[in-house]
Formats: sequence, structure tokens, C-alpha cells
Amino acid sequence: MDLEEIREHLGSMEVWVNKAKAWWLETPNLDVEKMARLMVDIGSRLVTVTASRVPEGEFRIIYHWDLQGQLLNFVTLTHQATLPSIMSISPVADWIEREIHDYFAVDFAGRKLPTLVLSEKDPPGIFSWNFLWKGKEGGHA
Amino acid sequence: MSFTIPIGPYHPALEEPCKVQVICEGEIVQDVSLSVKYNFRGVEWLAERRNYHQAIALVERVCGICSNVHALTFCNALEGLAGLTVPERAQYIRTIMVELERLTSHALWAGIAAEVMGFQTLFMTCFAMREQLMDLLETISGNRIHYGMNCIGGVTRDLANPEAVRITVRRVRQTVTDQLIPLFTEDKTIHARCSGIGQMTKEQAVAWGAVGPTARASGLTEDIRQTSPYAAYNQLEFKVPVETSGDVFARVVVRLLEMVESCHIVEQALDQIPPGPIHHGPIFVEIPRGEAVARAEAPRGELFYYVSSDGTDIPCRVKIRTPSFVNLPTVRLMMLQANLADVPLINASIDPCYSCTSR
Repeated sequence: MDLEEIREHLGSMEVWVNKAKAWWLETPNLDVEKMARLMVDIGSRLVTVTASRVPEGEFRIIYHWDLQGQLLNFVTLTHQATLPSIMSISPVADWIEREIHDYFAVDFAGRKLPTLVLSEKDPPGIFSWNFLWKGKEGGHA
Repeated sequence: MSFTIPIGPYHPALEEPCKVQVICEGEIVQDVSLSVKYNFRGVEWLAERRNYHQAIALVERVCGICSNVHALTFCNALEGLAGLTVPERAQYIRTIMVELERLTSHALWAGIAAEVMGFQTLFMTCFAMREQLMDLLETISGNRIHYGMNCIGGVTRDLANPEAVRITVRRVRQTVTDQLIPLFTEDKTIHARCSGIGQMTKEQAVAWGAVGPTARASGLTEDIRQTSPYAAYNQLEFKVPVETSGDVFARVVVRLLEMVESCHIVEQALDQIPPGPIHHGPIFVEIPRGEAVARAEAPRGELFYYVSSDGTDIPCRVKIRTPSFVNLPTVRLMMLQANLADVPLINASIDPCYSCTSR
């Protein structure tokens, strides 16, 4: 399956962009479960997921997949700081989603999110705790 | 009747902070849970509050064993973002440093594996060999760890004495081929401790996203140096050792063979390294607005960096995914139905780095 077929299968109206030897597809309303199922079915490997803050309390989430040495990056946005979990489709997402929850308090619906790097008593979202930093707000490029 | 046995948070084999909670029926492991929260330092958060040059020194401290590859991958991401071309000589020096680091890392792991198995003389052999490598790295960079060799656009130091590298690598290769490989592969005690223990199938390795020697011991062939080459790897010939049994023994064999290949890569790089500059130009490079990713094959597997920039001298977002972060969850699969006495060795067999995992 080539990149265009992947894009069409996901129903994205955007186009693939090549940046620094990797492919990027920005789809604000991406069906992440459908995307994960497709990528697993075509033998792709989930490398990791990156979260970063954007205005209005939402988060920009990037799913990085390796497909035969090519890095494909699916970019989407959270809705009310929540996205569906893909752990049941790709088990590697287990720790990845828990870490993002610890860092940003993003919820991944459909699963429990025990802390990974924080202690059980700590509230999630350590990268957003106000007392830590009141200066520069991280945002996407 | 089942027993819950907490092991850690001080690792019984690797002297690092990790808690393994094992549920046993008799001596057979029925379930495992891992806790890796004891080394969290917020490196990503800190990197987003330092300028790019400070962040290079910071990310190099994610790990004390594979520090160089962290700085290299971060610089690769920034170079991709800025569209910089790194001079060829610098690419070769980076390759030599990364392979020397892989040798020290694998030597450390082999020594600890030998110690866990109670083979003290083999442990001493591994560490004596590693000492030569660390002396060499000190000769090249001035430091035994945290070499500070990478900067945006090249390397900070030239290779002043290539012959010293060649001599040490020749000695290391001789030790690996004449002593380590025969001992690790032919000794009956090592076979008894490693063969058929801590198995992970290829299907499990794929599903759980295992990388590096851990994945290649289960039959996966992926190595970022070949599938997505960086530094000077596209100009060098080397094999990627793969085993299919998926047990502790396979992980031992893969790492030992990788050490031989690393020696081969360094020797080729020394033969081919061209003269020329080691840096693309100005020390302070403007990083434009945008985002980039970079990957490298660290000693434990694929290392991933994501960097986004808003055009200032401080990164907006730095994401680090270390190989141990994806390899550690597979330990649970390896330990199920194992004997309790094998738990430390199985855990050590993936060469976990808790400093990398928690960051």
C-alpha cells in the first residue's frame, strides 16, 4: 500500500508533506483507531507518539509509524484533551499513552491510565504544572 | 498458592532503579508488573527551556552509556530542520564514535550478564576489554563518558590519532572472537542458564514494537543503520546479525556478533575517512521554524528524537523515545512461566537502561 492509498483509506483531505526525510499528514479529525488498525495490518510499527500543547487547552498529537524504513507521521488534535486509545490495536502504545497522560494529562479513552513516571499520588500533567514554569509556552511549529 | 514477590526498586543485577513485582505459583512466574518511575528527571521539559547548544549537553546526559548517540540524534534532527549538510569527515568521525560506544555498551552488558550467571572470570575479561575502549574514547574526546563530540553541523574534535583507534579495535576484535564468543557459546553452564529461557516470539516482538538486539534475537531484521542510514553508514558494508530462537542465548549471540561487526565498521571507516573540515561552518546556527524527526541505532536499538522550533534559540518541543522504553514492556512476556531464579537474568538480557526509560 502506498502513501496515497493510506491517505485515501483514512479519508484525509490533506496531502502528504515531506519534511526532513519523513512524511507528514495533518488531519485534525483523524480516526486514530482506523489509522492504527490500517498501519498494523500493513505491517507498520508504531515508533512513538508525540504530544505538544496548543491554545484552547487542546494538544497536537503525532503518531510516528515506521513502514519499511520510512517514517510516517500522522498529526491530529485532541478533543477536550481526549483521544481514543490504540493500545488494544497496538500494545506498544500502552506505556506511550501512560507517559503522555503523566506529562500532559491527555486522556486516552477506553483504557485505564496508571502513572508511568509519576508516583501514584501525583496529579497528571506534570509538564503543565504552573509552579514549574510561567514563561515560554510550548507550542507546535 | 500464589506469592507476590517485590524485586527492587534496586535492580538485583544491574544496580539501577526498577521495581519488578512478580506473582509466582511455587517457583513459576504467573504475572509480572514493572515500575520504572525512579529515575524521572524531566529531561524533555528541561530541554524546552534551554537553548539548542545547552540542550545538546543536556540530552547527552539522558544516558551514561549511550550518551553520544543521544547528542548525535538530536543534532541530526536539528540539521534536518536547518537543512545543513554535515561534512563527510565529520560523518565518518560520528560513525566511529557511535560504534566505539556500541562496543563499550555491549562489553558492559556482556560482563554484567556473565556476573549474573556467576561467571566472574568472564566478567573480568569483558570489563578489561571495555577499559581499553574507554581509555581510547578518553584519548579521542577527553572523556570516558559524555564525550561532547557532537555539535550542530559536525563534530567538535578531529580524530587526532587514527592509528590508536585501529590498534585498540584490533585488540578488541581479537578478545571477542578468541575469548568471548567461544566462552559464551560453548560453555555448558552458560547454555544451561540461557538456552530456552526468557523467550519472545517474532510475532510478540512485532506487536510490542521491540527494537535493536532484543528484536533481532527474535528474528526481526530491522536495523536503522541499514533501513534509514545516517552518518556514514550508507558508505560502509556490514552485516546485521539475526537469531530466531528468541531466548536469552539468542540475545547474547546477537550482541557478540554485533561487536565483531562494529570492529569491522570502525576499520572500514578508518580506511575510507576523507580529509576535510569537521564542521559545516558557523558554531551558532539559526534553527528555523518547523519540525523534524531523527532516528539512530543506539546500542539497545532504535533511538528517536522529535524537535519543533518556533524560530527562537529555544526548542518548542523535544520528544525522546529511547529503545529501552519499548523493550522493557516485553520483559513481562519473557518472564511468564519462567522460573523465579531466572527473573534477574531475563530482565538483564534486554540490556535495559532505566535512566533512558524514565528520562
